[in-house]
Amino acid sequence: MITAKSGFNTLVRSSPYLMMALLVLPVMGGLIAVVLPALGWFPVLGYTQFNLNGFVDLWQTPGIGDMALLSVSTSFISTILAFVITMLILGSYFTSPWLAYIQRLLGPILVIPHAAAAIAIGFLITPSGMFSRLMSPWFSGWDSPPDWLFPHDAMGLSIILGLTLKELPFLLLMALGVLAQPELGHTLRAQHRVALSLGYCPMTAFFKVVLPSLYPFLRLPILAVLAYASASVEIPLILGPNSPPTLAVAIMQWFHDVDLNLRIKASAGAIVQITLTLLLLLGWWLTEKLINTLSQSMLVNGKREYAGAIMQNMTHVITLVMLTVIGLALLGMVLWSFAGFWAYPDVLPHTFVTQHWQSALQQMRTPLLDTVLIGVSATGLAIVLTLLTLESEQHTSKAISRLTSVIIYLPLLIPSIAFLFGLVWLLEQMNSHHTFINVVLAHLLFVLPYVFLSLASSYRRLDPRFSYVAASLGASQAKIFWQIKLPMLLVPIFIAVALGLAISFSQYLPTLLAGGGRINTITTEAVTLANGASRRTSAVYALVQMLLPALVFLLAWALPKMLLTHRE
Amino acid sequence: MQKHERTSAAMANTSSLVIEQLTLKRQQQVLLSLNETIAGGDILTVMGPSGSGKSTLLNWLTGMLPKGFSASGDIYLNEKKITDIASHQRQIGLLYQDPLLFPHLTVAGNISFAMPAEAKAQRKATISQALSQVGLAGLEQRCPQSLSGGQQARVALLRVLLSQPKAILLDEPFSKLDSQLRQETRQLVFEQIRQHKLPAIMVTHDQSDADAAQGKIISLFSVD
Repeated sequence: MITAKSGFNTLVRSSPYLMMALLVLPVMGGLIAVVLPALGWFPVLGYTQFNLNGFVDLWQTPGIGDMALLSVSTSFISTILAFVITMLILGSYFTSPWLAYIQRLLGPILVIPHAAAAIAIGFLITPSGMFSRLMSPWFSGWDSPPDWLFPHDAMGLSIILGLTLKELPFLLLMALGVLAQPELGHTLRAQHRVALSLGYCPMTAFFKVVLPSLYPFLRLPILAVLAYASASVEIPLILGPNSPPTLAVAIMQWFHDVDLNLRIKASAGAIVQITLTLLLLLGWWLTEKLINTLSQSMLVNGKREYAGAIMQNMTHVITLVMLTVIGLALLGMVLWSFAGFWAYPDVLPHTFVTQHWQSALQQMRTPLLDTVLIGVSATGLAIVLTLLTLESEQHTSKAISRLTSVIIYLPLLIPSIAFLFGLVWLLEQMNSHHTFINVVLAHLLFVLPYVFLSLASSYRRLDPRFSYVAASLGASQAKIFWQIKLPMLLVPIFIAVALGLAISFSQYLPTLLAGGGRINTITTEAVTLANGASRRTSAVYALVQMLLPALVFLLAWALPKMLLTHRE
Repeated sequence: MQKHERTSAAMANTSSLVIEQLTLKRQQQVLLSLNETIAGGDILTVMGPSGSGKSTLLNWLTGMLPKGFSASGDIYLNEKKITDIASHQRQIGLLYQDPLLFPHLTVAGNISFAMPAEAKAQRKATISQALSQVGLAGLEQRCPQSLSGGQQARVALLRVLLSQPKAILLDEPFSKLDSQLRQETRQLVFEQIRQHKLPAIMVTHDQSDADAAQGKIISLFSVD
C-alpha cells in the first residue's frame, strides 16, 4: 500500500526496529555480560585476565554431575510424558465431545503461574498432604505423617510431576489450536474419517494418519517447553531436592551468594546451562528422526488395530487421575487457606477461619500494587509495540522477516537464567536507581513474545478490503488504524492484554533479579513463603496468584461483550 | 426412474446394501425417510440442495452422525445388520470430492495403508498392477501432492477398492474435476464399482452424474 508521509506513518515504520532493539539488546547484552565473567574477565573484582578458572571451579563443585543429570532427566522425561499423554488424549477422544470438555477443564491450568502450581502440588504430596490423608489410616495404617521425602525427593519425581502437569495443557491446547485452523483441521478430520472407513480403529487412525501431519506444527511448542523445563527455576525450587538442586537453581544460588567470587562460577554455570539446553533440543530432534525412520514401514503395513481398546481404557484412567490430582491439589490449597486446627490424618480441618486471608491480604498490599503496576506497564508497552509492528507489516505489504520472527521468541528459547544476570548487571551500570523501570523492561522481554503471538494471527487475518474501502473514502492511515482496525480487533486485543498481564504476574526470576530484592510481587513473595513455615499463609498467596490471572481473563471476556452490546 | 438389465444380473449374487425404514431427524424435524435395497453393482443416486440431508444420510451409513441429528431404522450389508457397529468395522468405503490422500505417505504408501494386513507378500505387485490399470504406472514413489487432480482422484479410488469394502459411498466425488476429466473419472469409478459388484450410493447435485450412474434417483428437498 502506498502511504503518505505523516507522523503516524513514521512511527509505524520505525516501530519494528524499536521492538527488535528492546528484545535483542537486553538478551545479547545479558549474554555477553555472562560470557565475559565465565571466561575470567570481571573487572569489578579486579579480574582482567581471560582464563577458564570459572569452569574449573564448576567442575570441582561436589554434585555438579548430579545437578546436570537432574536438570536433563526431569525436563526430558516430563516433556515426553506430556507429549505422549497429549497424543493419547487426542487419539482417544478425537471424534468424541469429551475432547472439548477436557479442553475446558485443562485450559485454566495454562494461566496458573508455575510457582502457584508447584505450591499446590507440593501441598498434595507432602507427608501431611491431601494424598497421604486420603489414604490414612484405613489403607496405609498411618497415624502420623509418613517419612517420605516428597516433594523434595532426590530423583526429581516431584519436579517431573509438576512440569508434566504444567506442560500438558499447553501442548494439548496448541494441538487443538492447530486442529481449529479451518482448512487444516477439516482435512485432518476428513482423513481420519477415511481411515475409519478403511477399517482402522480410531486410535490407530489418529496415530497413523493425523499425527504425522499434526506433529510439524507442534515441534516448536514442544522444543520451547523442553527448553523452558530444562532451565526453569520455580518448580525445581519448590518441588525439587535441595542438595544437590537442579543446575539452574544452583546457578541462581551462586549468583545470589554474598561471596562475589562465586559470580565467576555462576557465569560458567550459565554457559553450561545453555549448552545442556541445546543438547536436549538436539537430543529431542534426533529421537524424533529415529522414531520417524523406524515407524515408516509400520505406517503402511495395513495393521488396523494395536490393542486400541486397552490404550483407550488406559487413557481414560490417565485422564481421570490427572484431573483428580489437579482437583485435589486445588482443593487442598483452598482448605489450607481457611484451615484452623487440622489434625493428621483428618481429611477436613476441624475449624474454618478467615484470619489467614485477612492478615495475608493486609501484608500483601504493597506487593499486590507493585504486581499490578508492573504488569500494566509491561503489557501496555508490549501491546503498543505489537500493534504498531503489525501495522507496519500492512504498510509495507510484507510479513516481517524470518529472522525477526525468530528474534521475537528469543527470550523464550534462551534459558532466562543464562542472560538475566548479565542483563541486571548491565542495567545496574546504567541506571542503578530506577529499579521499577528495570523490572518492567525485564518483564517486557517475556510479555512481548506472548502478546505478539496472541495478536499476530488475528491482525493478519483481518480482511484488507476494509482498509481499502476506508482509504477510498479518504481516511488516512492513522484514522483507519484507530477507527477501523482497533475496534474490529477489540476482542483479540483484550485477550492479548489479559495474557500479557498473566505472564507478567507469573514472572519470578526477572522480578527477583531486576528488582534486586527491593521490589516484591505476589509471585516472589509466594515463592519465598513456599519453603517457609506457614502453610496457611503460603496457600493464600498461591491462591491470590491464581485468582489474579483468572480475574483479568474474566474481564477480557466480559468487557468486550459489555462494550459491544452497549453500542447496539 | 430407469431400470436396466444389469440390476437383475447383480441380484443373483448376495451382495446388497439395505436401508430399512430410515427416518433421519435434525432435532425434532424430519429430514428424510427412506426404504431402499441396493444390489451389488447398482448405484443409487441421491440428489438435492444443501441442507436437504444428503450428507447426513452418508454420515448415518458410516456411523458418524453428528451431534443434533437422530435416526431410526436399520442398515443391512450383505444381510448382516450393521446399524450399531462401530464406523471402522462396517467395511463401507468412502469417496469424497477431495481425494484426501495422506500427505505423509507415497502413492504406494496410501494404497498399502488401505490393504488388509495379511496380504503382505503380493502387496507391491498388486499395487503396481492396479496403478497401471488406471494409467498411473510407475508413480508408486511419488508424493500425492505432486500429482494432478485427476491422478489424485484415481489413487483415492484405488485406495478404496483395494481395501476390499463391501459397499461404497460417493460424496459428490467428481464435483472438483473439470468437465473432460470429470467424465473420464466418473466412467472409471462406475466401471470399477460394477466390476467389483459393490452396492453404491452417490450423493450429487449434478444431473450428468445421475444420468451416468444409470440407477435409481432419489430427489430430496430443502426442509427449511
